[in-house]
Amino acid sequence: MSSSFEKNKYWKSISDYNNSPESIKAKHDEFLEGVVDNFDSSKLSGMSRRKFLAVLSSSAALATTACSDYRDKGEIIPYNKRPEEILPGEANYYASTCTACSLACGILIKTREGRPIKIDGNPDHPVNKGKICAKGQSNILSLYDPERLKEPKFGNQTISWEEADFKVIEALNNAVKYNKQIVIFTDKIFSPTLKKLLNDFSVKYPTTKVYSYSLVNDKNKRDAWFESYGSYEIPSVKWNEAEIILSLDFDFLGNEGNFVENMRLFSEKREVVKKLDVNRLYVAEGRFSATGMMADYRLRISPNQQLEFIYAIINELSDAKVISVDTAVKNLVSKYSVEKFGSKEKINNLLKDLSQHKGKSIIQAGESLSKDVHIAVNYLNELLGNNNLYDWENLDSYYQIASAKEIEELIDDMNSEKVDVLIHLNSNPVFNLPQSFKYKEALKKVKNVITLTEAENETSYSSNITLPINHILESWGDAFNKTNVYSTLQPVINPIFNTRQKESILLSWINQKYDVNDFRLYLINNFNELIYNKLKPLTDQKTFWQTTLHDGVVKFEGDSTPKKFNTSSLSKLNNTNNKESFTLHLTESYYIGDGKFANNGWLQETPHPVTKVTWDNYAAISPKLAKKLNVEINDLVEITHNNQKVILPVMVQPGMSDNIIHTELGYGRSIIGEVGKDVGVNVIPLISKDLSLIVENVSVKKVDGKYQLVSTQEHHSLDDTFVKDLHRVRKIIQEGTVEEYKKNPKFLHEEKHELVSITREHEYKGNKWAMAIDLNKCTSCSACITSCNVENNIPVVGKDQVAVGREMQWMRIDRYYSGTPEEPIVSNQPMLCQHCDNAPCENVCPVNATNHSEDGLNQMVYNRCVGTRYCSNNCPYKVRRYNFFNFRDHFEDSYYENNLTAMVHNPEVTVRSRGVMEKCTFCVQRIMEARSNAIRDGKPLNGNDIKTACQVACPTNAISFGDANDINSEVAKLRKHDLSYHVLEELNVKPNVTYIAKLRNTHSEGVI
Amino acid sequence: MSAVDYSHEISVVEGKPALRELDDLIIKPLETKPNKNFLIALSITLGMLGFFVIGLGLTFYYGIGMWGNNNPVGWAFDIVNFVFWVGIGHAGTLISAILFLFRQKWRTGIARFAEGMTIFAVMTAALFPLIHIGRFWLPLYLMPYPNQHSLWVNFTSPLLWDVFAVSTYFTVSLIFWYVGLIPDFAILREKTENKIKKTIYSIFSLGWRFSNRHWQHYEMVYLILAGFATPLVLSVHTIVSFDFAVSILPGWHTTIFPPYFVAGAVFSGFAMVQNVLIIVRKIFHYEHIITLDTLEKMNKIMLLTGSLVGYAYGMEFFIAWYSGNPIEQFTFINRAFGPYAWAYWIMLTCNVVSPQLFWFKKIRRSIPIMFIVAVFVNVGMWFERFVIVVTSLANDFLPSSWAYYKPTYVDFMILIGSFGFFFTFILLFTKALPVVSMAEVKAVVDGAQPSHHDH
Repeated sequence: MSSSFEKNKYWKSISDYNNSPESIKAKHDEFLEGVVDNFDSSKLSGMSRRKFLAVLSSSAALATTACSDYRDKGEIIPYNKRPEEILPGEANYYASTCTACSLACGILIKTREGRPIKIDGNPDHPVNKGKICAKGQSNILSLYDPERLKEPKFGNQTISWEEADFKVIEALNNAVKYNKQIVIFTDKIFSPTLKKLLNDFSVKYPTTKVYSYSLVNDKNKRDAWFESYGSYEIPSVKWNEAEIILSLDFDFLGNEGNFVENMRLFSEKREVVKKLDVNRLYVAEGRFSATGMMADYRLRISPNQQLEFIYAIINELSDAKVISVDTAVKNLVSKYSVEKFGSKEKINNLLKDLSQHKGKSIIQAGESLSKDVHIAVNYLNELLGNNNLYDWENLDSYYQIASAKEIEELIDDMNSEKVDVLIHLNSNPVFNLPQSFKYKEALKKVKNVITLTEAENETSYSSNITLPINHILESWGDAFNKTNVYSTLQPVINPIFNTRQKESILLSWINQKYDVNDFRLYLINNFNELIYNKLKPLTDQKTFWQTTLHDGVVKFEGDSTPKKFNTSSLSKLNNTNNKESFTLHLTESYYIGDGKFANNGWLQETPHPVTKVTWDNYAAISPKLAKKLNVEINDLVEITHNNQKVILPVMVQPGMSDNIIHTELGYGRSIIGEVGKDVGVNVIPLISKDLSLIVENVSVKKVDGKYQLVSTQEHHSLDDTFVKDLHRVRKIIQEGTVEEYKKNPKFLHEEKHELVSITREHEYKGNKWAMAIDLNKCTSCSACITSCNVENNIPVVGKDQVAVGREMQWMRIDRYYSGTPEEPIVSNQPMLCQHCDNAPCENVCPVNATNHSEDGLNQMVYNRCVGTRYCSNNCPYKVRRYNFFNFRDHFEDSYYENNLTAMVHNPEVTVRSRGVMEKCTFCVQRIMEARSNAIRDGKPLNGNDIKTACQVACPTNAISFGDANDINSEVAKLRKHDLSYHVLEELNVKPNVTYIAKLRNTHSEGVI
Repeated sequence: MSAVDYSHEISVVEGKPALRELDDLIIKPLETKPNKNFLIALSITLGMLGFFVIGLGLTFYYGIGMWGNNNPVGWAFDIVNFVFWVGIGHAGTLISAILFLFRQKWRTGIARFAEGMTIFAVMTAALFPLIHIGRFWLPLYLMPYPNQHSLWVNFTSPLLWDVFAVSTYFTVSLIFWYVGLIPDFAILREKTENKIKKTIYSIFSLGWRFSNRHWQHYEMVYLILAGFATPLVLSVHTIVSFDFAVSILPGWHTTIFPPYFVAGAVFSGFAMVQNVLIIVRKIFHYEHIITLDTLEKMNKIMLLTGSLVGYAYGMEFFIAWYSGNPIEQFTFINRAFGPYAWAYWIMLTCNVVSPQLFWFKKIRRSIPIMFIVAVFVNVGMWFERFVIVVTSLANDFLPSSWAYYKPTYVDFMILIGSFGFFFTFILLFTKALPVVSMAEVKAVVDGAQPSHHDH
């Protein structure tokens, strides 16, 4: 071997082999000259490799994007100066007060990037404790209603606020000058500051008269309370302490009284999980109300027989020496007997229960019943010692309502041209006053009619000047929820349109000038006078105001001395008229209220709790009456009263009295946005001048024609043996009675089989999400449905699509009847995606668009879904919802896709397009938020930190959600409870929604 | 002599036509200009196809909501039509493959046409899975192709099996059909004087020179393809039935479905082939090639499969009762007496009662009656799928989610249109290709085979 070989084993060239200096240098530089060191791009061709690739890829990208239709062309503009309190992606919450009805619940408004997207109850509020109803939940859509009034109007002309103010102030001054009346016709007033403002207005313009009017009100109850106790402030009822409850047509779990509070307290006494503590509910009603569905015993008593019924009860109890009755009353009631009121057994049970539970029972009468009934009820409660269930610390604050007589006087004044200026303050009397008052005609005699309203309505069309007002989320304000609970309203968004809040407008007419801050200062002033000076807290005024505003509510000690019953009120008791007349019973719609929410699609599409009908009102009649009138569902009947005729479609409702027709108010708005136009029938014309919602002596007859009522659940005849009680046979509804449960706590699982899986099943090692729903507590109020709608961007599909079964709500409340058509028993069941462990939807999806997560969620990947609908077909619960159209723009009854309404969307939830399947996600966005917070804080993810939208909304806390693998969680305990069951257990799909079987508190052991 | 002469087979082609005559007869429709009747027929089918286009246009523009499908009833006319057309597509391969393997010579007259119908019926059927998906622009998601998202199809879904089963069936049927056509293309190439036609035929005949070697290879390939196609006849509808049988829905979740579906498919396929052939043999004067005997044999198969289907209907009820599952029992009672009872009884009358007439030889051999019976069978089989798909979905587990299904005008447009689509292809087929296999028919003409007898 030569040494040179050893010197250089590998060589590239001869020079290399010889170790020439160039080659040593070249090796040292590693790369050849000109490649790295003296790289000069100008020497290269104009197109470098890099550039070539860049141009190639960019042109490829351009070519592909230029041809693709990127659907979302919305602009995204970043903050160039971020507002201090806004962190993009993080929600801000503001406390305020709901003014959807006069209950004035405390609310917490969620805003994202300055845009309100969700309203929930304020958890710090002492009365509603974090819960609000369906109306309050859906009210957010009304904020983004594109048909809100956008500018002040003079006739049909748009004018500026300055012009409008000038015209109005001139008219007001003239009215005062010529001693003509100025009338303010307003909705219920529950804001102390508005009350003060109206006083100030009357001082400034001394000829002012204020009329507060609401067709649906509790005036009779208040008046009766005044007779009995000398006060209009009625204490709340401690429903959670009542063993026996008798409701005389009082829909206290539906929409009467402080129903949000009532539901919470009532459900505390339907407790079967932690302990067995169940009240017994008797409901005596002619219609079928939400409360009626919860009854353990239901008596069919029409509203005009209620007085007789309560007299008969007083009589029986006094005969049985349970109570000692005033002789005058005894004389009055002695001729009444309970015999005519249906089943003897039920009545005897009722009488026995009332006598055995003195001091622990409560009787309450419905708001539409006469003053007599209420006085008799007050008296009976007093005699039974039930007055200790009155919560004297919580008094419903009083707001005055004009009586029918006052309204007539007003109309006389208008007709005799004594009224010069008439201001409608957020009221709609042309629609809400019965036509017999001829209000619309009288309006023509008033020189200046000014309407302050959020959207055009029947009244604004008869006005000279129409002024647009703010939505509550754009307004300042305050309210008394109870006499000792003061809550504040604060705006969470700048007015979207050129609107002002109604209080500011009045204030600007007092001050003769407008400033956007005036009303806020006025409010703070009033707050200081009313609350600060009263409570004298240690902090300064400003801090106290800001704390109150932050909390949204302040509670203070009020006068809580129990009032004495005034026996002289008994002299006001009248004989019953004892006529067996045919009665029309009118109640307010559960969801669209008195018509105020008729333009809110989410509320129009929320199914009625009993009939499940959407987008309509109807004449509900008993099956027996239907047979007598020879009508079926969807036939038309004509109801006549006082020469007024109304034609309504028929709904055959099991369990109703045979001599009444029940109809809901609020429908048939004629001047309103596209959504609410001509939905249902206006039945207000049938109301007499006494404004009673119990219209006696109506006549009814069948008329030709058909009308299609649409509902989210098919109607089966109750006596059809083919489908009767299928929900019990199939164990969809499993129920028992308290007696049965006491005797054998495991009665539900006696016949249960061991279910064997043939495959090895997935083990859930970390979290496993699960839900439990307590059917003892669910009142079918639908707050969960609406909350889910808002949280998860559920579209409104319209009547035509509900008719073909394409409603999109992820959650529904199934209603099943058992028993007879006369005495049906109702079972309710909230139904949503069950997130089955062995989900049958998952294995049939050809594209894996629906699959299972590690933590037990049945997931839906919208992007991957091609829409074969196979998953829905294979879902035994039929909880999947399919986008048959692009429901954002396909909506026969309305608009949906517009820039404004789209603002309501929750940015955390995908807006689904056409052809995609969707369903309940267990609010996965909330789970993810909790997870990222847990990761941020370095803590394990705790299921208790996650609350689904339905769970948050549920006024009765019937829904629990959490980690089934966490043995200490509520859900894990509920899953193991003796009363827990799964729907369609035998399919072995292993659902993760557990239902707690309902226990009925009857005297027997059998359910039916 | 009353005794049958078993010494040699009865010819499946009547008379003893000269082989050249047969060629000329079969080629005639290809060589003549379309006559008035043909144009009228074509304009009718194109008109029907127009409905299809409009119906699909509406669906594509607005969405599946244009159909009557609703929440419990996720599948309706779309899948009913799919299963119906796949079923129609069954007779062809059965006739050409299974009967070929069983050496049923009577198949020769009808095989080509039946195969053609298979191709067109499967084409029609294959449209429905594509249009029934809500996002019709994403059918590629149903294909397992590598992609950067690492997204794969779900092999546990019967719908995916369908994609493979139908596409395999279509491919194999098409190849089988084409292989069978090669000798005929060669004959056409020889006969035609039109230059363009000659070029086309030359390309498609793959250089066929009628050589013995060609025939040997051809016979072997045909046999292998027949063997290959035979299991497919059974598998396609078995897999289509899995769409239902693998689900958990009462009325769908039934183990009898695979054989029951195959029998039903053959049943409806034969009915459709018989219907169309009766018209074709009349128009083209093929009475001696597609003989009454052949039709009678088809009727016998219809009688058999019809009875099998009837048996399956009965067995479904028996098993529902025998299972003791109340939901299953309800589903079947609901079919017969519930809101869709009308559809059920139409199905039963058409499918079970009407083919029983074929027990009578006179009816089996009466062309008008057999035609009507076969029409009934087609109607009945469409309703069978309707009953299975819709009634099971409309009234399933939870009574709360039940809803009645009503088709819309678009549903009917697409149904009518699918017939237009199918028959347009049939009409064009009769003018473009020999509807009877010349090579095979010539082979079964009496005297075409070597025998011990004199000619």
